[in-house]
Amino acid sequence: MHPIHFIVFLPLLAAIVGGLTNKAAPAVFTKGLTTGALFVAAVLSWMVFLPFVAGTAEAQVVPVLQWVQSGTLSFDWALRVDTLTAVMLVVITTVSALVHLYSWGYMEEDPDQPRFFAYLSLFTFAMLMLVTADNLVQMFFGWEGVGLASYLLIGFWFKKPSANAAAIKAFVVNRVGDLGFMLGIFGTFLVFGTVDIPRILEMAPAMSGSDITFMGMRLYTMDILCILLFIGAMGKSAQLGLHTWLPDAMEGPTPVSALIHAATMVTAGVFMVCRLSPMFETAPVALGVVTFIGAATCIFAATVGTTQWDIKRVIAYSTCSQLGYMFFAAGVGAYGAAMFHLFTHAFFKALLFLGAGSVIHAMHHEQDMRYYGGLRKHIPLTFYAMLAGTLAITGLGVYHLGVGFAGFWSKDAIIEVAFARGTEVASFAFWMGVFAALLTSFYSWRLMFLTFWGKPRWIESEHIQHSVHKTPEQAGEDTTGGYHPHESPVSMLIPLGVLTVGAIAAGQVFAPAFLDSADFWDGSIFYNEPLIHAMHGVPVLVKYAAFIVMLLGFVIAWYGYIRNTAFPAKVAEQLGPVYRFLYNKWYFDELYDRIFVRPAFWIGRQLWQRGDVGIIDRFGPNGAAWVVERGVGVAKRVQSGYLTSYALIMLLGLVAAVTWILM
Amino acid sequence: MSYASSFYFTLPEVILSLSGLALLMVAAFAGKASARIVTILSVAALFGAGIFTAHLLSDPAFALGGDAFSGVYRMDAFGSYAKILIYLATIGILMVTQRYFDSTGEYRPEYPVLMIFGAVGMGMMVSAVDLMTLYLGLELSSLSSYVLASYARSDGRSAEAGLKYFVLGALASGILLYGMSLVYGFTGATDYLSILAAMSDGLSGGMLFGLVFVLAGLAFKISAVPFHMWTPDVYEGAPTPVTAFFATAPKVAAIALLMRVALDPFGAQVDAWRQIVIFSALASIVVGALGAIGQANLKRLLAYSSINNVGFILIGLAAGTQAGAGAMLVYLAFYVAMTLGSFVAVLMLRDGEGRQVETLADIAGLSRSHKGLALCLAVMMFSLAGIPPLMGFWGKFVVFRAAVDADLILLAAVGIAASVIGAFYYLKIVKVMYFDEPAGVVAGKGDAASWVVLALTTLFVSPLGFLLTIWLGNWTNRAAAALFFAA
Amino acid sequence: MVDLSQYLPILLFLFVALALSAAFVFLPMGVSRLTGTHNPDAEKLSEYECGFPAFEEPRSQFDVRFYLVAILFIIFDLEAAFLFPWAVSLDITGWAGWITMMVFLFELIVGFAYAWKVGALEWE
Repeated sequence: MHPIHFIVFLPLLAAIVGGLTNKAAPAVFTKGLTTGALFVAAVLSWMVFLPFVAGTAEAQVVPVLQWVQSGTLSFDWALRVDTLTAVMLVVITTVSALVHLYSWGYMEEDPDQPRFFAYLSLFTFAMLMLVTADNLVQMFFGWEGVGLASYLLIGFWFKKPSANAAAIKAFVVNRVGDLGFMLGIFGTFLVFGTVDIPRILEMAPAMSGSDITFMGMRLYTMDILCILLFIGAMGKSAQLGLHTWLPDAMEGPTPVSALIHAATMVTAGVFMVCRLSPMFETAPVALGVVTFIGAATCIFAATVGTTQWDIKRVIAYSTCSQLGYMFFAAGVGAYGAAMFHLFTHAFFKALLFLGAGSVIHAMHHEQDMRYYGGLRKHIPLTFYAMLAGTLAITGLGVYHLGVGFAGFWSKDAIIEVAFARGTEVASFAFWMGVFAALLTSFYSWRLMFLTFWGKPRWIESEHIQHSVHKTPEQAGEDTTGGYHPHESPVSMLIPLGVLTVGAIAAGQVFAPAFLDSADFWDGSIFYNEPLIHAMHGVPVLVKYAAFIVMLLGFVIAWYGYIRNTAFPAKVAEQLGPVYRFLYNKWYFDELYDRIFVRPAFWIGRQLWQRGDVGIIDRFGPNGAAWVVERGVGVAKRVQSGYLTSYALIMLLGLVAAVTWILM
Repeated sequence: MSYASSFYFTLPEVILSLSGLALLMVAAFAGKASARIVTILSVAALFGAGIFTAHLLSDPAFALGGDAFSGVYRMDAFGSYAKILIYLATIGILMVTQRYFDSTGEYRPEYPVLMIFGAVGMGMMVSAVDLMTLYLGLELSSLSSYVLASYARSDGRSAEAGLKYFVLGALASGILLYGMSLVYGFTGATDYLSILAAMSDGLSGGMLFGLVFVLAGLAFKISAVPFHMWTPDVYEGAPTPVTAFFATAPKVAAIALLMRVALDPFGAQVDAWRQIVIFSALASIVVGALGAIGQANLKRLLAYSSINNVGFILIGLAAGTQAGAGAMLVYLAFYVAMTLGSFVAVLMLRDGEGRQVETLADIAGLSRSHKGLALCLAVMMFSLAGIPPLMGFWGKFVVFRAAVDADLILLAAVGIAASVIGAFYYLKIVKVMYFDEPAGVVAGKGDAASWVVLALTTLFVSPLGFLLTIWLGNWTNRAAAALFFAA
Repeated sequence: MVDLSQYLPILLFLFVALALSAAFVFLPMGVSRLTGTHNPDAEKLSEYECGFPAFEEPRSQFDVRFYLVAILFIIFDLEAAFLFPWAVSLDITGWAGWITMMVFLFELIVGFAYAWKVGALEWE
């Protein structure tokens, strides 16, 4: 038994046992079981991972069982353990274990806790399936598994219509991406005759430059395949165009947001591109697309993030933006940097989400930052954790001192490598990256200032009003309304503490391995040695670009939300159309509603009313039923009960038979 | 072909005839009080005849069968198989009858005696290889049936049923007899082999008329459309055990008879009658299904159901192959079990005062008060509807497969589609029993004998019946082969 | 199967005859209905000149015992009818014929005994 068996199957076992017992056992049974399983898995994951850092571990494939043998299609269920997988294992199990623990406190009053924990563990299992996949089908299995778990968890509070809508939206939008992914898998099988990832990657370079004719156009095979696969990644990782589900997914409980929609599932797309990096390297057009989409998402999400009021939505757009960084890092060929940012991001973004959850918990489920303020003194531990997270995401660090928070190491590396790449689309990505860094700093500090500094504005919140049974008028001068936010319980603070350590130190400790060591990756991703050399050789100004814009963003945020609090409203008013454009998320939802949703509904209605009811039902079931009804009437009338008519029918039948046979 | 072997081959009929005569005397001299003992002795006689038939069927010495009385009667696997079904059905009905007449006190020893004479006639029908024997057997069983139909003399409906059955039966007999005389006139023979030989050279117009008339006369007996009109009225009017009897034993006999006539003497001219059989099969399926949908009376509904089933059986005949014949025999076995079981279940429906209950509304919510009964009836209905894994599906399946193998794909397709209509009313009964508000009409428990019959038939059509399919398949294959061996 | 083409003239003749007779029957009716007045009353619709209303139902019930006796008569009548040809051909049919008839007679006797015992032969 390899430890990977335990890592993968303990969460599954816990999910099944805990989920099936559900409310039959006390909630603490399922909670303990799943959390315990995840902590064991997390410890084992680190034990698998650290030898890779030390360079003493070998990549291997651990078989589970034979899966499909059908004609030329044959593959086994096997768990692949190499550096790339090990990184993901650590991220997934660590964050998942911490989120499990955190949920003890956060979900304390929920009546459906066993279900929640079972879902969380199920998700973890599916995610582990995805990252340990040795073939595309197994990866797809995990891919769909996490989609399912995500759907279930977003809609966890299924009595809330908005949660249901968000869950369905997430599922449907992901379907679009999944279609691309599936086509990519089919196409790959068509071209390579196998779904086995190592063999595909082995054969991919030979296919470089081959082309196919599709609808009269000559297209490069590898570009097509990679773009199709990337569409799948776009859906799962909420890239521009297929990003609309992610902000809505914040309807789910906050621990879910931290685990699924920040640290793990949404990074599956990045992971997939890195896993298939040798394949992508043979597809320059596809890489350009990846870079462009990544950079565009990066800047798009950052701009929207600056205008949102909901604390979770700000972090959600921030996630979207950071995923953009990862993709354009991959697009320019720095897969190591992409994975590194994924790694560090998991820690500080999970930290930010869990911190936000702690704030929400303290503020009686109020999520609007306009009703926060001055929380620094009331929940100091949460404040310090969030501060660490903010410093990490904004990338505080000084190049020449060689010290910095996690984000400094990974994000700056991405910006530098984009510059170093030097192609046009890479330059575009560089500038977008720098600008997005400015915005990142701005919205992150805006969040901090609105939440923790300034005067309390709590009484405006309906949640607080309900809690203290006062209206703003009754409260008068006391804008706290007499409400006392309490620091979260220990079970929530421990994860915050652990993640804080990660947010501070993850970059510093692991940067040499992730960024500069081809031995560390050991062929599990495509490692572009010259590019990394070029990255280290960029001008000093480039190295400090992110730092400078970070400071700039901080200053703007400080001015707008501490110094002169009327300033943002004034700017918003003066730049009205721009502000509304950003505030309404570039009108993507409205646009999709017009282009896709309404026509789809229209087509659906037509097919339903005209096609289904009008034709199929009318001439099918209903028509048949009508004929049968008529027939019943006729049969009843013929069966009159009169002997003479019976004899007549007999004789008529006889005559008819004779006539027929004589004809 | 000595007298000894002739009597040996006809021994089942001889046993039953002598028992019948003896029991008639018992009935005459001991009177009404002897009803019970006569019933038991009748069952014993039928059982004895059945055992002997089984012996004839299984003894390898008689594997090829044999002729009796100068070739007017033939003992073979086909006849023996049909006879066993007939005897079993008759035994089953005798077992559940007496309870039915408890409330009216009309049960008399003549009832089992009539059944025995009916069984003798049916035995002759299925073994006949001469038109004269055929007619003799047919009339013997028919006359018993007419009397049985009007057995409940105090009930106007029963008398009406008997009269209708008699008048229309006489008409059908006339048609049959006329056809037989035509066949005899144009072929110069009444035995099947000679008729076959005469018809092999082609059909003259007279032969054709004769063929059609004979088939029409037989179609009346199996109540195939358009000669089915008597069925609903007679089934509804006759006492329920008699209805059950009509729907099982005489139907087996008539179908077996039709099979032998169609495939032996007329076997050379399959194309001449195939179209008619196909029409009759489809019409029976559709009319049976349509008629049943509108019914509120369970007996009338089951009457239409039997018309419907005859349609499916005729599909096997339309195939005109040995496989088709085998399929019909398989279907017959399940049909007898399903029909017998359904009627026994209906028989067990009584209200608090012991009166018979027979409308659909009365069994609403039966599952609440009578779980076992409702379950058995539901199994029967699902099986009749042809829902796997119940054996009714298997019967339909083999029949349709035979039709497909005989290149009658369209017939099979239409038949399958039409069977969907039938599923409606079978499922409606289940729905009424399980999902409607309890009507609370049915009361009391059934007697042990009824439960035995119901349980056995239910087990037979349940998936456990698959355990018997090896024997069943073996017997039906032999029986079908015997049919074609003679040809 | 049967060549019916020879009968075509007859069929045509049949149609012509049908059409002509229909015309002769319905044309005067239609014309009189359209031209004359039409107001029927009870007197006009009643039977007149050649009849009168029936005094009672023409179908009257017979005693069922007549039927019973008639049926028994037919059975034994048939027995007698069988006995004559049997008697004149007994030298050909031999013992087999004799035994067969004895069996037939035995069965009839059993039936007769039954009918006698259950009182079918008693009128009252």
